Amino acid sequence: MNRLLSITASLLLALTAGCRDDGDDGGALAGAGDPGPSPLRRLTRIEYNNAIFQLFGDTSSPASAFVPEETALGYDNQAAALVVSSLLAEQLLNAAETLAARHAPAILDSLASCKSASSLDGSCTTQAQAWVRSFGKEVFRRPLDDAEADEWFAMFSDGAALGGGFDARGGVEMVVAGMLQSPHFIYRVESGRGEPNDQGIDELSPYEMANRLSFLFWNSPPDRILMDAADADELRTPEQIEAQARRLLRAPRAREAVRNFHRQWLGLRKITEVLTGIGKDVEMFPDYDPAILPLLQQETEAFFEFAIFDADASLDVLFTAPFTIVNAPLAEFYGVSAPSATDDHYARVELPSDRYSGFLSQAGLLALYAKPDRSAPVLRGKFVRERLLCQVPPPPPDVVPEAPEVDLTKTTREQLEQHEVDPLCAGCHQMLDPIGLGFEHFDAMGRWRADEHGLAIDASGEIIGTSDADGTFDGVIELGAMLGNSDQVRNCVITQWFRFAHGRAETDDDEQSIQRIREAFAASDYRIQELLVALTQTDAFRYRRVPGLWSPSEEE
Amino acid sequence: MSIIRPTRRDLLRYLGTSALALPIVGGRRPAFADHGEAHKRIIFFYTPNGTVPVNFWPSGGETDFVLSPILEPLAEHRDDLLILGNVDMESAFNGPGDAHQKGTGQCLTATELLEGTFAGDAGESAGWAGGISIDQKIAEVTGEQTLFPSIELGVLVGRSDVGGRINYRGAGEPVPPENDPAAAYTRIFGDPDASSSDLETQRMRRQRLLEQVSMDYQRLADRMEDQDREKLDIHISSLADIQDRLQQNGVQFGGECQMLDLGAPIDPTRVDMLPEIGRLQMDIMAMAMACDLTRVGTLMWTHSVADYVYSFLGEDIKDGHHSLAHKGDEDAPKVEHNTRLNVWFAEQFGYLISRLKAIPEGDGTVFDNTVIVWVNEQAKGNNHDRHAMPYVMAGSAGGFFSTGRYVIQDKAAAHNQLFVSLQNAMGIEDDEFGNTAYGKGELPGLRG
Repeated sequence: MNRLLSITASLLLALTAGCRDDGDDGGALAGAGDPGPSPLRRLTRIEYNNAIFQLFGDTSSPASAFVPEETALGYDNQAAALVVSSLLAEQLLNAAETLAARHAPAILDSLASCKSASSLDGSCTTQAQAWVRSFGKEVFRRPLDDAEADEWFAMFSDGAALGGGFDARGGVEMVVAGMLQSPHFIYRVESGRGEPNDQGIDELSPYEMANRLSFLFWNSPPDRILMDAADADELRTPEQIEAQARRLLRAPRAREAVRNFHRQWLGLRKITEVLTGIGKDVEMFPDYDPAILPLLQQETEAFFEFAIFDADASLDVLFTAPFTIVNAPLAEFYGVSAPSATDDHYARVELPSDRYSGFLSQAGLLALYAKPDRSAPVLRGKFVRERLLCQVPPPPPDVVPEAPEVDLTKTTREQLEQHEVDPLCAGCHQMLDPIGLGFEHFDAMGRWRADEHGLAIDASGEIIGTSDADGTFDGVIELGAMLGNSDQVRNCVITQWFRFAHGRAETDDDEQSIQRIREAFAASDYRIQELLVALTQTDAFRYRRVPGLWSPSEEE
Repeated sequence: MSIIRPTRRDLLRYLGTSALALPIVGGRRPAFADHGEAHKRIIFFYTPNGTVPVNFWPSGGETDFVLSPILEPLAEHRDDLLILGNVDMESAFNGPGDAHQKGTGQCLTATELLEGTFAGDAGESAGWAGGISIDQKIAEVTGEQTLFPSIELGVLVGRSDVGGRINYRGAGEPVPPENDPAAAYTRIFGDPDASSSDLETQRMRRQRLLEQVSMDYQRLADRMEDQDREKLDIHISSLADIQDRLQQNGVQFGGECQMLDLGAPIDPTRVDMLPEIGRLQMDIMAMAMACDLTRVGTLMWTHSVADYVYSFLGEDIKDGHHSLAHKGDEDAPKVEHNTRLNVWFAEQFGYLISRLKAIPEGDGTVFDNTVIVWVNEQAKGNNHDRHAMPYVMAGSAGGFFSTGRYVIQDKAAAHNQLFVSLQNAMGIEDDEFGNTAYGKGELPGLRG
């Protein structure tokens, strides 16, 4: 009974809200669904460095020495995991002071009245106040309100007086060092437009939208064009947002941001960072050279960049492409001919299409998910299951014997048979091993092999437990086709982008937003660029819950 | 039973905005008031991936024990050791997370992890530790008297998740270690090149800066709810730490407190430099104690599941540490390699003891008033066992512990009890630590 009543009540509310919306704001909030949570996000080290570059043209990347981000869900930008320790607060302080000292002279040159002044006279005051507002807008990525402008001018004045007399440079340094530690710089503060509907859902302010777009596609603060659009309140309609999203995606900076995503989604950095510490068995692989590892990471990143931006590819191409992107040492590693590739220049090369299948057959990931002396079907299967199918296998038992040393008289597949026999193992390993065994034509270095120490390779496998990708297959070509055309994989890619874009895990309340992305992705024949644009067209991206006003719907 | 002194951070929590106006009690305190007076210190020494139990445990009885191969490097300190048998990390079999995550996150907290999204063998299920760590609980009390409540130094701690942190100010509040000896030195002892007037100007500027910045954070925090507010509160308390320190004098060198020569700069991410980085971090830790800049320290050697190849211990070592730890017991060469790694860790533990013994204090040395505790995330790497943890203590903490013994608990004890013993040794009268479901009260038989 109560339930019925509350449904009626919320229906009424929704109706009246709809009427009112028609009256004032052009209906921007009409039909606004629940955007889910919008946690306060801190700039990542990459974003901080990009911001410093944008502000000062400074390429020193000061954040690279900061405490690394706490990573969650595989990403460095997950709001819930990021904590500011006393150590990080000090690093932020030191960096801010260093940057202030370095760039104050140039700023001072633009404040001629203050530079030559012997006291804080009228013309210096006017000039400094204007500078506080213009510089503050760049640092905070939104205009300052009057009270803030007054406070920061007071900082200028106090800083200039610190040495006893008047030194405008001290004032500039104080303002720069202070603003660079402000929460309005370090965090992406959002308050909304200030016109919430009856459900307590508000649109983003134009500056907040500029920030969301820019940090998503460029991992950087908004550029001049976005800020101008925000000034003109032209970041409001879905069409305006889409147009900016497409503009940002066309710029080179988007490529670096998309690389950053793939580096984290697929853990590509581990190819360099983890594998360097482990290496490969040099007796088995005499030509192993750790210098190849960063190149293998580069290859996969360059492949995604090429496929997504230059080929405007659909998702399945990533899984099935019979080509890759190599420089000269990589071409040699693979034993392919790439005449236009040099040490620095990466070029597309065609590969035998009966052996290779998109990023699935690239050596970096296959070498990462291998032991020093043998392939590791379990790890490869686990990678597919977790990162590509978005499924989490249950943990292994607490007591796990390590597999015996490589036995040259048996294939890796034969040595793994224990998992099928032992009922303790079989339950989980049937989720992992039969997928991973599909990669058996790739050795511990990640390179194609016809046989395993002279033994015939059986690369047949099976996917089970998915919504639509179940079935048997033989080798990576068939596996790639199955994954590349699976809705479960498509949805997984959407989920990964959603987490990266919003800095949080998806929730039940995001279903409507995610459904919109699915529809747009499908309508574009699964082109990745369209998925990226679609990320900006959701309730989750355009709106936010207002603290204190929003409360969970009582309908369910 | 628990005696809780409110810290500045607690006050911030409870008082909200007005806390910023709090005067700092006592005004500017000298960093170290009384040279010569004995203060107790505690240092935690963490190594990952378990040990090799068969080569770790001594033979013989409580006082006539014979050191094992792994502990042999500590022979010259035998009479200062307290080796603890039959102490389990019982809590670490419970709650979210995989074996490594639980072992690391509960290493010094002795309570279950929070739920979260850190990826491990148990999927993306574990969060940060669910409670304060023992070092931080001690630091809340002893830290009132020193410039730094605690100092956390790392050696190639390469993870920023629950597998790379053992120190926590509270649930979900990890304290990261500083991996770079040069940065650690500057942070603790100040810029060696700055003049005193430079430093005074910097201090005044920082006070004004942080006053403004903290106010900004506080205003924002007041507008926020739940997680966002907590996050900003933590940031504010971190700023308050710096502000507190600005109220005090910096280090004053003199007596045993001397500047260190760090030598040529070292890239703190290079595995082949691991021994040099570790030695510098130990030198810095010992000097911070000598200068009484802190009384609580942690030295973290790499991180959970760290797979660095310790080829500096021999060309024949080609597997990473974690991989070695996973080799079967029958794989004699790999067991020998892993033993060699742990022997080397024992040598480092011995070096730290020697450093502290080399610093005179009163009629003895700093070491006399110190206890160093060697902890691990596992007991045994290849089965992830967390029973019978390889705990070794060195030093009596001013006579509190009776050393030179191998004390095997009659009945399996929990590491909660070890931490109760440690907090009592450090002057905190409390017979509980962590989740008391796993154990409470002191570990029997350790006191002198």
